[in-house]
Amino acid sequence: MASLKIDHERCTECRMCYIVCREINLNAVYVALEPLHRIEIDVAKCTYPGCTACLMYCPADGSIVEAETGRSLVPPPPEVWRS
Amino acid sequence: MHPILEEFCEKWVWPTMPGALGAEFRLRLTREHCLKGWEISLNRTLAEIDEELANDDEEWKKHRALRGYAAEGVHMSIKQMSGQLLSVDIADQERYIDLQRMRARQIWDECKHSKLHADVLLGKGWIKSEPELMHLAQANAQPLPAYFGMSMMFPHIHPLARAAQNYYQEANACIGIMAYLDRVADPLVRHEHLSQRDEELMHFMEGKFQIDFLCTSPETQRPVEEALGYLLHQIGGISPSPQPSPRARGKGVRGGAEGG
Repeated sequence: MASLKIDHERCTECRMCYIVCREINLNAVYVALEPLHRIEIDVAKCTYPGCTACLMYCPADGSIVEAETGRSLVPPPPEVWRS
Repeated sequence: MHPILEEFCEKWVWPTMPGALGAEFRLRLTREHCLKGWEISLNRTLAEIDEELANDDEEWKKHRALRGYAAEGVHMSIKQMSGQLLSVDIADQERYIDLQRMRARQIWDECKHSKLHADVLLGKGWIKSEPELMHLAQANAQPLPAYFGMSMMFPHIHPLARAAQNYYQEANACIGIMAYLDRVADPLVRHEHLSQRDEELMHFMEGKFQIDFLCTSPETQRPVEEALGYLLHQIGGISPSPQPSPRARGKGVRGGAEGG
């Protein structure tokens, strides 16, 4: 199953993904206290590709990637959001 | 549609979360109102850039940096944007706490942006230190009715009215940055814009998120329509004068706006 992860070289820690994920009560995006209080994605809670909400509101090009392939999902590729 | 605007829309505007209850409203506003304003703004910016690049001297970079310092500097943030935190009643704070958090973050971003404009003025040798800017009216005044007091609240005080500003006006900032990065080679001017790019886009995303998730009924959509009408009329000049709802008129709040 595909999963998401944060590319910390690109992420600006704006926390839009955290707010969106919390708004839909998934709470898969969280602040990891170790090592640097950075945003991370809990793969046990994240339902990607079933849910793609965080991808639609992330403003940092390339900061959320598919963990298995390293493929950038920001901005969201058309197949992720076009039905 | 201009290729720069088309790229912006394809990357950041059209991607929509399936099932977001306010998304249809946002996309309708975009197609019926925002695109026209964004296209006009982009064409104005491109014409300005072409005119600026045709000059032999660098005076335009100085004027632009001073104008940017006034438009999104510490003064503007403290005087105007911090007042927007007050638009959320205590009883509504639990519902809108993320709006307040985002607003606080934006105030901080705008303060940082003023430093980027100062970098140009310092780098070119037009000022020796940033405190000199405190004595220059051009670096501290805007030709907008929003300069004083609570006039930054638009014709509406509903917490969601700000979503229109974040969505429409911050998109103009993003598109303007894309235009400068497309046309201007000067490393300092590119620094001035490049370092703002993700933050302006984040401010736009705040508006997109608020509309998609929170503007899901006529009651919550109306303040966004009213504030957008104000922005298009006051700034874009492409919309009839908006008619604020009785609630907004009753509060005696005047209109205003600031840069991105």
